[in-house]
Order: sequence, then C-alpha cells, then structure tokens
Amino acid sequence: MTIPSAPLLNLTGIQAGYGEINVLWGVDLTLARGEITALVGSNGAGKSTLMRTLSGLIVPTAGRIDWAGEDLCGQSPAQILARGIAHVPEGRRLFSSMNVEDNLLMGAYARKEPRAAIRRDLDRVYATFPKLHERLGQAAGTLSGGEQQMCAIGRGMMSAPRLLIIDELSLGLSPLLVEQLVEALRSLNREGLSILVVEQDVITALELSTSAFVMDMGRIVQSGRSAELMHDPAIRSAYLGALAA
Amino acid sequence: MLILQILLNAIVLGSLYACIAAGFSLVWGVLNVINLMHGSFIVLGSYLAWGAYKALGVAPWTSLLIAAPVFFILGYGIQRGVLNRVIAAPVLVTLTLTFGLDLILNNAMLVAFKADYRQLVLDPSLGSLSVGSLVVPVDRIVAMIFSLLLTLALFFVLRRSRVGRAIVAVRMDRDAARLMGVDVPSIYATAFGLGTAMAGCAGVLLAMIFPISPIASGSYLGKAFVVCVLGGLGSVPGAVVGGLFLAIVESFGSLVLGPENAVTLSFGLLIVFLIVRPQGLLGKRGFE
Ligand SMILES: Nc1ncnc2c1ncn2[C@@H]1O[C@H](COP(=O)(O)OP(=O)(O)OP(=O)(O)O)[C@@H](O)[C@H]1O
Ligand SMILES: [Mg+2]
Repeated sequence: MTIPSAPLLNLTGIQAGYGEINVLWGVDLTLARGEITALVGSNGAGKSTLMRTLSGLIVPTAGRIDWAGEDLCGQSPAQILARGIAHVPEGRRLFSSMNVEDNLLMGAYARKEPRAAIRRDLDRVYATFPKLHERLGQAAGTLSGGEQQMCAIGRGMMSAPRLLIIDELSLGLSPLLVEQLVEALRSLNREGLSILVVEQDVITALELSTSAFVMDMGRIVQSGRSAELMHDPAIRSAYLGALAA
Repeated sequence: MLILQILLNAIVLGSLYACIAAGFSLVWGVLNVINLMHGSFIVLGSYLAWGAYKALGVAPWTSLLIAAPVFFILGYGIQRGVLNRVIAAPVLVTLTLTFGLDLILNNAMLVAFKADYRQLVLDPSLGSLSVGSLVVPVDRIVAMIFSLLLTLALFFVLRRSRVGRAIVAVRMDRDAARLMGVDVPSIYATAFGLGTAMAGCAGVLLAMIFPISPIASGSYLGKAFVVCVLGGLGSVPGAVVGGLFLAIVESFGSLVLGPENAVTLSFGLLIVFLIVRPQGLLGKRGFE
C-alpha cells in the first residue's frame, strides 16, 4: 500500500439542500491529490447535491470546503472554476443547439490565456476523443449518448482544471463505450488530473478509482481504498448483490 | 409591375421589421422577459436621430454610432438596476414591471416632445431610384441596408463572439452556463443592453421614413411581437423571416382588403400562428 499523498480537497460537516429541504447532513470527505476517487450510493443519496455544492451551484448552510488553504463555501461557480474545479453535471447539460466546438469553447469561457493556449487544449480534447473532432460542426443535441458524454467531459477539460468532477459517468452507455471513457480518464489522470467520479455501477467505480466513498441518506457511510472495498462483504451484499453470488 | 413595386416596398418594410423585432426577440428568448418598453425605446431612438439632425446636422446613419452605445448603456443600466431584482419572478411580474416603466418613459416623451408628429426631412433629399417603372426613394434603401446590416451584426455577435456564445449558453441552460464561469446577471444585462441598442438603432432608421411620435410606440411593439411569433422566438434568422413574411402579407393584404385592414390582418395572422404553428416559421426552440 502506498502512503496517501497530501489532500487536495477536504470537506467537513457539509450541510446543504434546496430551500427548506435539507439533503446533506454533515458530509466529511477527503480527496487525495492526483488520484481518481469514486463516490457511490443509492438513488437520492445526495451525490449530485454534493457535486453541486462543490462547484458552487448550491451554497452549503454549514461546513467547510478546504482547497489549497482556502474555504470555498459561499464562492460563486465562476470563482470555484477559477480555482481549478470543473464539474461535468449529471445529464451532461450540453448547449444543445450549439455545435461541438462551441460547446468546448464554452468550457474555456472564463480563461484569460491567449488563444493559442486554448487552441492547444482544444487539440488535446480532440486527441483524447477523436470522435469529437469528426463531429466538431455538429449540434451537440444531435450527438449519440456516448459522444455527448465525451463532449461534456471535453468541455470540463477545457477549463484546464486541477480537479474534474463527473456526475454519472456511465449512465445509459454501452459497456464498450464505458471502457473507452474509463481509458480516457485514466490517461488524463496519468497526466496529473485529479478526478472525482460519481458512478452508479459500483464495479466500474471501484475498478476505476483508487479510493471510494459510499453515500447514503446525505451522509458518507463508508470509505476506503477501492481494492479493499471491492472485497468488503457489506458492499458486496448491498451493491453487488446478484453479481457477487 | 404593381406587384413588383409592392414586393419591393414590402422587402424594405420587412427589413425594418426584422430590425425592430431582433432585439425584442433576444430579450424575450434569453431573459424570458416580454419587454413592453421596446416600442418606446424605438421612438426614443427616432427622437435622437431627429434631434441630432435638426440641431447638429448629423445624418441618421451617423447617429447610429451614437445611438448604439447610448442605448446599450441605457438598457444595461435598466436591467442591472431594476429588472434584475425581479428576474426570477414569473413572466407576469416582469411584464407588469416593464409595462410600468414604459408608462413612465412614454409619458416623459409626451411631456418632452408632445404628441405632435415630427418628421425628419433630409435636406437635400436623397432622391429616388427608378428601374423601369419601379421607383424607390433612396432613403428607404439606405434604411433597409442599415437594418439588415444591424441585424446581421447582432447575428454574428451571438454566433461568433465570446459574449455572444455566453448569451446563447445562458438561454439554453442557465446552470450549465454558470458552471462554465458565466456571470448570469451580467449576461442578462448585456443581452438587455443589446436588445435596447437594436431598438434605438431601429428607431434612428425608422425616423428616415416615418413620422415620429410617442404614440407610435404601441404599433412598433405590436410589430415586434407579431414578428417574433411568426418567425420563431429568440432567433435572429427567425426575426428576419418573420419580418419579411409579415411585411409581404400586410402589403398584399392591404392591396386586396384595403390598407385600413392591415393591422387586423397582422393580428389575425398572429392568432392563426399561435394556434397552428406556435413554434414559428423556422420552428426551432433553441436560440440560433
Ligand atoms: N432541485 C431540487 N429541489 C428539491 N429537491 C431536490 C432537488 N434535486 C434533488 N433533490 C432531492 O435531493 C435528494 C438527493 O438528490 P440527488 O440528486 O443529490 O441524489 P443522487 O444521489 O444524485 O441520486 P441519483 O443517483 O438518482 O442521481 C433527493 O431526495 C431529491 O429528491
Ligand atoms: Mg445524481
């Protein structure tokens, strides 16, 4: 076992919800720098709410989000993005009648670097997902589900983030496509990108990640190294039921 | 030949309609605000052109250079200072608010300029162009060309510029746009500013052709509304198609039914479209 690297992000006691409805009841979570971390949990556990809180779409009512010595609580999505956290939202949320390239350029909207730097990252996205290059002039709404997910991830990469959070990586995609996406994320990770992925399919999640958190009813109920969680009897019976038998 | 002459007039009128409607459509599509001040902004633009010509001898096409930034700032300020406070409210609330603001603006113009019709008469006149038996006054052609240029400019700003892409992004998915780092309130203000600038510039051009009075604002607003429904809401090409279509139907309609029925005809068309083809001629929901 390797020694865990310095934490990249540290959440403590995060409470958040929608107006009167509280969804997160004190979430504690630590992400290691340069790792792929998975967040799993049943429907309605609050995973997406946690992602929205992290990216500033929802302002937490209590708790701290420590990132590079700073508390991100109460910062706007633009400020959080500028700090290096990009959020690929659940449902992909592409700009449907804009073409692929314009969607990707929207990912770089807030960057102030010269055009050449952005062009280089655009080429990098195309190198990662050659399919997108073939379809760069096509309206994003007319892409297949897999291409849309590539476009959404590519758009997230275009902000040149240090942490990419992806909500629902494999939902509705064929196993072959999921395998391609997993490969792409691994290669991005090898280049130094930290990734937090919310994933319904626990096997995919645990195979992809180094460590993982399990969420239920707005709390983290279990965490650990993914390889160990894979053999955890509780996880196996709760999430891998039929397959484990 | 009469048919051709009418068609030519309709194309001139249709270009102006497109220019009138493009900004209104932008604001409606992006902010979900039906801006009842749009007609008064147009009239204010006409007064600006009239005043600049009368007092300083500045030709209307030169006045565009003043009107565009001035109206942009006016719109930006109104959105930031007033509308933005209720932007999340249901459409009826913002409608009522713009109704109130329009009453203020329109009455202020009535007080300042009276209800009398004024006319911007270019001296020397630009004359007319005739091809065969077709005759078109040159000032109309100039107004048409500038209308189309302005509409095209708006189209390219939305399509090609960074801020334009952000406006379109906000229209399509506000939260996704926020995740891209877009500051939504400032984009709303920019879109409203652009819509207001389009109205002001349209007013400048209309001053070359039509008499100017605060009373005209309702009719301009009505045209903008009908063109939006005909062409399809929230798209620049929709405004162009809707504008030309309305002008052609009105022109030939008044030939057949008499000019007194042109307004009835356009609102009749509005009702037919709302029932039969509510998405408009171009039939797209997204912003193009
Ligand atoms: N916009 C909203 N307004 C009110 N309640 C919401 C909203 N979005 C989500 N919720 C509620 O918050 C709770 C957590 O939802 P969330 O989407 O975070 O779950 P999740 O873990 O992502 O589920 P899934 O796996 O289905 O995506 C649910 O009970 C849901 O009904
Ligand atoms: Mg979810």
